[in-house]
Amino acid sequence: MKLFFKEQLALFVLYFSNMFFLVIMYYFIGGFEKSENLLYFLFVSLFLLICYSVYRYFTNRRFYKKLSELSSSLETPIADIGNSCLDEALNKLLKNQFSLFQEQIHNYDRKQKEHLVFINQWVHHMKTPLSAIQLVAQENEYEPYMANIQQEIDSLNRGLNMALYMARLDSFQNDFYVETIDLRTVVTKAINELKGLFISKGIFPQILIKDKVLIQSDSKWLIFILQQLLTNAIKYSGERNKKITVQAYKQNKNIILEVKDQGVGIPKKDIKRVYEAFYTGENGRRFGESTGMGLYLVRQSCKRLQHRVELESEVDVGTIVRIIF
Amino acid sequence: MKYRIMIIEDDISIAELLSSHIEKYGYESMIVDNFENVMLNYHEFQPHLVLIDINLPKYDGYVWCKEIRKISTCPIIFITAREGKMDQIMALENGADDYITKPFFYEIVIAKIKSHIRRCYGIYVTPIQERKIELNGLILYPERLEITFNKNKIILTKKEAILAEVFMKKYPNVVSREILLNKLWDDINFVEENTLNVNVTRLRKRLIELSIENAIEPVRGIGYRLNITWRNE
Repeated sequence: MKLFFKEQLALFVLYFSNMFFLVIMYYFIGGFEKSENLLYFLFVSLFLLICYSVYRYFTNRRFYKKLSELSSSLETPIADIGNSCLDEALNKLLKNQFSLFQEQIHNYDRKQKEHLVFINQWVHHMKTPLSAIQLVAQENEYEPYMANIQQEIDSLNRGLNMALYMARLDSFQNDFYVETIDLRTVVTKAINELKGLFISKGIFPQILIKDKVLIQSDSKWLIFILQQLLTNAIKYSGERNKKITVQAYKQNKNIILEVKDQGVGIPKKDIKRVYEAFYTGENGRRFGESTGMGLYLVRQSCKRLQHRVELESEVDVGTIVRIIF
Repeated sequence: MKYRIMIIEDDISIAELLSSHIEKYGYESMIVDNFENVMLNYHEFQPHLVLIDINLPKYDGYVWCKEIRKISTCPIIFITAREGKMDQIMALENGADDYITKPFFYEIVIAKIKSHIRRCYGIYVTPIQERKIELNGLILYPERLEITFNKNKIILTKKEAILAEVFMKKYPNVVSREILLNKLWDDINFVEENTLNVNVTRLRKRLIELSIENAIEPVRGIGYRLNITWRNE
């Protein structure tokens, strides 16, 4: 209704000023004989205006209604919105726009999917030469330079896995399987896979988890999440001979898993943004080799597994990351 | 008799590395060169066990696995970069017996080969010879955790045997702490720097039982080195 009046305002103004001037002109060239004539004149013109307005409003009622509400789905524009010529023209325009738009989305979607397939295949292709290098390294494991090469192999492997998990994040629903898992087993596995990194950085891991702490989760993703947290903890431990403690405990019905390091900590101004993709912060610049993806991936995959992540950190004291199941 | 192992892997460097390693353990191996028709190679070679990759040039590993299953019950082990649950299920459903993901370790491949051959052919005396490391009369049998010198024999703990093996193999070079820690790392109790010191001290004491003294010398900032302080009689 409001929209209707707004649109017709110009017409009303024109109509009333026209009426006003006509009455004045008439008055000057002879005037009305009786005041009833004036009323009659006003009545006829107003009647015509009202008829026109009512007709106009009712033919375009749906159109106005549609226009004044904001659509939330993509489908709305092509729904029929009236039958005046204006509606039809608009409808045609919208339909056309919509199909162009859809085509573009479709293109991007296809490109995105192609890219995803490519990344997946690429990672697998890269794993084959990496295996070959790994085998050569095993043959020569006692050569003095081999420790360095092994470290680089591990680091490449971790990088490839990260890319793989990043690519999988979007098709998450096809790629996860929730089961009852024992936290201790999963944590031990995650730590053992990072054995080389722990030893070369001189950091000692410690598990404080009672025998059976059972949770519902996907073990593959959980190990991935833990590895991201552990590599961060190792990287930001700063010096040798620090400890990283992985602990699990119960708090108000929730089971909480805690990864705690004694490292450099995260400056206050960076804490809020650590979960953002590609955000490296001050520590990232200090330590290099940061992608800014670790905690982003942790948060994203936890969200999909419906676990909560909390982070607490103090500069020069350490960082604690908690996963709440 | 030598057991024959067929390797179906299109990455030639991996195939060759695997093949030469397998042969060290006394098996005979063959690398498939005809991916158009793997079965031709199969009939020629008549393998006892098959190692197969999933991604292959013409048809994938599943196809060949099914083909082999039509005529044979020999153990088939998949080696692949894919580690998804679905891929593992697919492999096993198509007739595979086991599954190894890349990047892999020789020890795992060999252990799996051994166990499948044992299972399938019921032979518990494997053609694999026991490992024996000898250095100037000092002999270590890593699998038995046994070390002998001058007809004296002592049994070591697992950690002591691991250390002894590394020292003897690497002689006369210095072994870095990192390598030693890597070897000692136990999947359940993680090693600390102290664990290493304690175990080296223990091994020293054990060697004294064989009247070998001061054989392990610490090298500051790097690690340890084995010196031959004993005479071969």
